[in-house]
Amino acid sequence: MSYRPILTARIGKVDPTSLDDYVAHGGFQALKRALALGPDAIIDIVTQANVLGRGGAAFPAGIKWKAVSTEPGPKYVVANADESEPGTFKDRIIMEGDPFSLVEGVIIASYAVGAHQAYIYIRGEYPLAITRVQNAVDACYQAGMLGERILDRRYPLDIEVRRGAGAYICGEETALFESIEGKRGFPRIKPPFPTQVGLFGRPTLINNVETLINALPLVQHGPDWFRTMGPLDSPGPKLYCLSGRIRRPGLVEAPMGTTLYDLIYNYGGGVTGSGELGGVLLGGAAGTFVTADDLDVFMDFGSLREIDAALGSGVVIVFDTSVDMKAVLRRIARFFAHESCGKCYPCQLGTQRQLEIIERLAADRLRPGDLQLLSEVGQTMTDASICGLGQTAHSAIRTALKRFDFDPSTGHFARFGPPSGVQEALA
Amino acid sequence: MTTPSHNNRIWITIDGRSLQVPPDITIREAAALAGVEIPTICYHDALTPNAVCRICVVEWRGARTLVPACVARVADNAIIQTNSRRVRTARRTLLEMLASAVDLSQAPEIQAMMQEYDADPDRFGPEARRRETGGVKDDNPFYVRDYDKCILCWRCVQVCAEDVQHTFALGFNHRGFDTEIATFFNLGMKETTCVFCGNCVGVCPTGALKGKRLYELELRGDS
Amino acid sequence: MKDATHTLTPQQLAAVETVLARYQGKGRSALLPCLHEVQAITGWLDPEICAAIGQSLRVPLVQIHEVIEFYTLFYNRPVGRRIIRVCDDVPCYLAGSEAIIRACATRLRVDEGGGTTEDGAWTLEIHPCLGRCEQAPFLMIDDEGYGHVTPEQIADLLGGKP
Repeated sequence: MSYRPILTARIGKVDPTSLDDYVAHGGFQALKRALALGPDAIIDIVTQANVLGRGGAAFPAGIKWKAVSTEPGPKYVVANADESEPGTFKDRIIMEGDPFSLVEGVIIASYAVGAHQAYIYIRGEYPLAITRVQNAVDACYQAGMLGERILDRRYPLDIEVRRGAGAYICGEETALFESIEGKRGFPRIKPPFPTQVGLFGRPTLINNVETLINALPLVQHGPDWFRTMGPLDSPGPKLYCLSGRIRRPGLVEAPMGTTLYDLIYNYGGGVTGSGELGGVLLGGAAGTFVTADDLDVFMDFGSLREIDAALGSGVVIVFDTSVDMKAVLRRIARFFAHESCGKCYPCQLGTQRQLEIIERLAADRLRPGDLQLLSEVGQTMTDASICGLGQTAHSAIRTALKRFDFDPSTGHFARFGPPSGVQEALA
Repeated sequence: MTTPSHNNRIWITIDGRSLQVPPDITIREAAALAGVEIPTICYHDALTPNAVCRICVVEWRGARTLVPACVARVADNAIIQTNSRRVRTARRTLLEMLASAVDLSQAPEIQAMMQEYDADPDRFGPEARRRETGGVKDDNPFYVRDYDKCILCWRCVQVCAEDVQHTFALGFNHRGFDTEIATFFNLGMKETTCVFCGNCVGVCPTGALKGKRLYELELRGDS
Repeated sequence: MKDATHTLTPQQLAAVETVLARYQGKGRSALLPCLHEVQAITGWLDPEICAAIGQSLRVPLVQIHEVIEFYTLFYNRPVGRRIIRVCDDVPCYLAGSEAIIRACATRLRVDEGGGTTEDGAWTLEIHPCLGRCEQAPFLMIDDEGYGHVTPEQIADLLGGKP
């Protein structure tokens, strides 16, 4: 644990409302370096560093940057700050604590791919983050660092901050475009992909906040440095969001591939409640459950995929053995039924039917055949939905049933007890 | 001189049969060339396909998920199965979920599909929530709207908007399972921009939109 | 329809007009920012306001309606003058959100599933994950966040009124 934070180094030290203080803390050094390198060299660095998208989909950022850079303009850069995955709060903490770094990341990305208009789309429930980022953008305009020039280089660039309005689906990149265009957040059919046909039908680079701020240390220190952290197939620093029954919940920056044990026991201080680990939800509602047997897993995209789990956005929600797992699953099922956009049948109908079956499970009223039915509904959502929301809406429930030894004859999860009622007393 | 289109033909395999097809056609179109009919619900020849019903999904070897045949385009060496077990499970489950939520009594094509795929909507039990929209909306002299029969295929919204009429009388209420076709603040049709062109009634596949005369004839027949 | 419209003060009307003048002709992509700004003045969006927005932006009315219907932070029916949003997703549940919700519902005399008080002062909403999981249980009153809340604090947060 001798790791020194990179992405979060300024948080708590810098005045998030002051451009001058940001500069005093090393701000815009990365942009200066980026302007000296030029667009092609920046894209080479991002590609060689093998930065995988930190929003959860793990798509190589270099491929997107390169693709958009070769498309004709007008084109756009969009920062996806719609962070709405239950258990995720990393991008909010960045935007509240170091908003200028996001603005700097957006400027570097726009310059690299040749965009002259960028958007930062922030979820509506983050008023402080919206204020801070808007203030940072305004300050850059006032200092003459946006608009006609970026820093001191002639390069027209405008950044507009957009406020979401309460829709988890708008974290899906094409639904987010629809939302900026003033429409319901319906995901689009892909292909075509955003790098060719994105916002307003134009080539668009869309990256998560954490992905974009990785560009700052990356252009300064280069890909070799970046790849000294974590495994080669998904290197770099990573923000993990610890919550649930854990002694020190909060944001942890650690190298990609830190073990789950390290995160829970060293960074997080261990398990509260009964004190005994019952399970962990990785990646949020759209993620996967793992058990105490999986504590040695490396928390990176590839290692987790190997054990039928997913890193997602870096969520780690901890459950002690006293938790009522059925009440947890009911909330996950309710979340998806509430957030389905309703466009495609598998998700529109499946999230509702899944919720009904999980409500029966939670009320100990499962009917014969319900688990088979649930599995078919889940498989259909996973296989046939338009977008990632429907495709992952059954993931947590599936892995809970698979890993927590659910016994249909008793209606209980063997790994969790005592059953309902007691966990409230412990909370 | 060979025509470019001949030069460009690609090889694909559909349900074990290999054939040459033009590039850039959809799987649905390619399957038709192979003599395979792929079921569709929301698809309509005259409208922009939105791939919302997902009944047309097929298995494309190597793809992570099933792909919608109405919009996905073939590629060279694609190996496609249109009726595998995985495909049939998805279609059957979709039909069961749809029929457990919506009144399909006037949708004979979907009923036939349910037979074909052995779909049993009662599997979800009597408490499965249905689409309940508060009865037939009879607010103009030309047509009625019975959204308990609406499968949200989007056709009416599309003909009313950019696909045909540019009238923009129809849109949506709510989202998810609660989604409903709606007017501005649920006003009666006469208070909207509707021009009573009848296109929406013409494309409705389930009798949710119905000409007033037919509706009245049916009512008389019932009594 | 009559019941569904506002009685706005002259100051509110003037403020809305100023906003709409600024959005004149800006088109559909300005819709969400415009709705946010207008709703911040009026509390919720009635048919007359929406018609004025449509005219200003040049957006068909049904496309305004369906957008308000889609996003949970927009309202096309009356809501309380203040909105309390309590998170009940997994991390907050693990920290006792059920007791928080019960305390709010009891205090406001509304359903535990959410609702508006009879005097229109408050609306309680059970909101999807608010992204403050490290401060669970968490709630927001309008734009102000409160972390690590306890049921005992609820009376104070909701003001003196029983």
